[in-house]
Formats: sequence, structure tokens, C-alpha cells
Amino acid sequence: MAMWGGGFGAGSQAVNPQNIAVAEQELEMVTDLFNRISNVCYNKCIPPKYAEDTLNKGESVCIDRCVAKFMDVNLKISELLQKRGQEGGGGVPGVPAATS
Amino acid sequence: MDFSRYNAAEQAQIQAMVEQKQMKDFLKMYQNLVERCFNDCVSDFSSKAVSTKEQTCITRCFGKILGASERVGERFSELNQQMMMGQQQ
Repeated sequence: MAMWGGGFGAGSQAVNPQNIAVAEQELEMVTDLFNRISNVCYNKCIPPKYAEDTLNKGESVCIDRCVAKFMDVNLKISELLQKRGQEGGGGVPGVPAATS
Repeated sequence: MDFSRYNAAEQAQIQAMVEQKQMKDFLKMYQNLVERCFNDCVSDFSSKAVSTKEQTCITRCFGKILGASERVGERFSELNQQMMMGQQQ
């Protein structure tokens, strides 16, 4: 698998550390989001009754809807932040401005 | 996530990084399981042995958490795919 790149001019085999950092950050963001959704939706949908060791129908449906709503809210907040950033000059209240 | 835009050497390094993260995540999941199931199932300290009732509760708690995690994973990846396809249009 390490052989195919060389013959097709796919670029040097040098590792750009920035690419690795970007990939790592992307993975971190996705796993963090997934873990948060798992936690929140478990808290909201699964009462600690434990009558059986699988999800029942109600809990399953709740989880489906919870995930969809969470992603929606996630997007909504992101849009709101963007809008506020455009209007107010970019600052987030309470967070000191980045100085370069 | 699509890492095919990186060259082979980068992909190898990314793969190693992914595996390390997966191991860390697994440990975190394990700790989360223990804490949740302990909190939800164990509150009687008149004995230091885990009762059969508590044992059953823990087994079911384990089943539920893993089931929920699986289901969240399915919906999450579906939604992610939809979003990515939407962005490509």
C-alpha cells in the first residue's frame, strides 16, 4: 500500500504536520460531539429503571429524535453565533479578544 | 471523515493517531459505564458483597448504555452523511 503513491506523481511522501494536526482536530471534534450526544440523550431518554438489558421501543424512538434535535440545535447555535459575529464585530461576551 | 486527500505517508500517521484516540475513547467509555451503572444500581451498603439484584441491574445497565450508544452512532453517521451530501450540492 505504501508503493502506489510514488509512480503516479501523487506528490512527495513527506508528511505535512499541519495536515496531521487538522485531521486530528477534525477527529477530536467529531468524537467529542458524539460523546456529548450520547451522554445527553441517554440522560433524557433512558430512565434508570433497568427492567431489561436492551432498549425498548419508546427509548429507541426517543434516542432517534434526540440525536436529530441535538444536531439541529447544534447547527442553530452555530448560525446564531455567526450572525452575532457579523453584527457585533466578532466578540463573544466574556471571552477576551484574541490578540495577534 | 474522508482522509483520502492526504498522501500515503500522512494517511499512515493519521491511522496511527486514530488508533491511539480509539484506545483512549474506549477507556473513557469503560470509566463512564462503571460510574453510571454504579450510581444507578448500587445504593445499599449494609453489605460489601454485590447482591444478585444489583448484579442484574448492572448487567441491564450495561446493555442499555451500549445499546443507546450504538443507536446514537447509527443516527449520527446517517445525519453526518446527509449533511455532507447536502454540502456537495
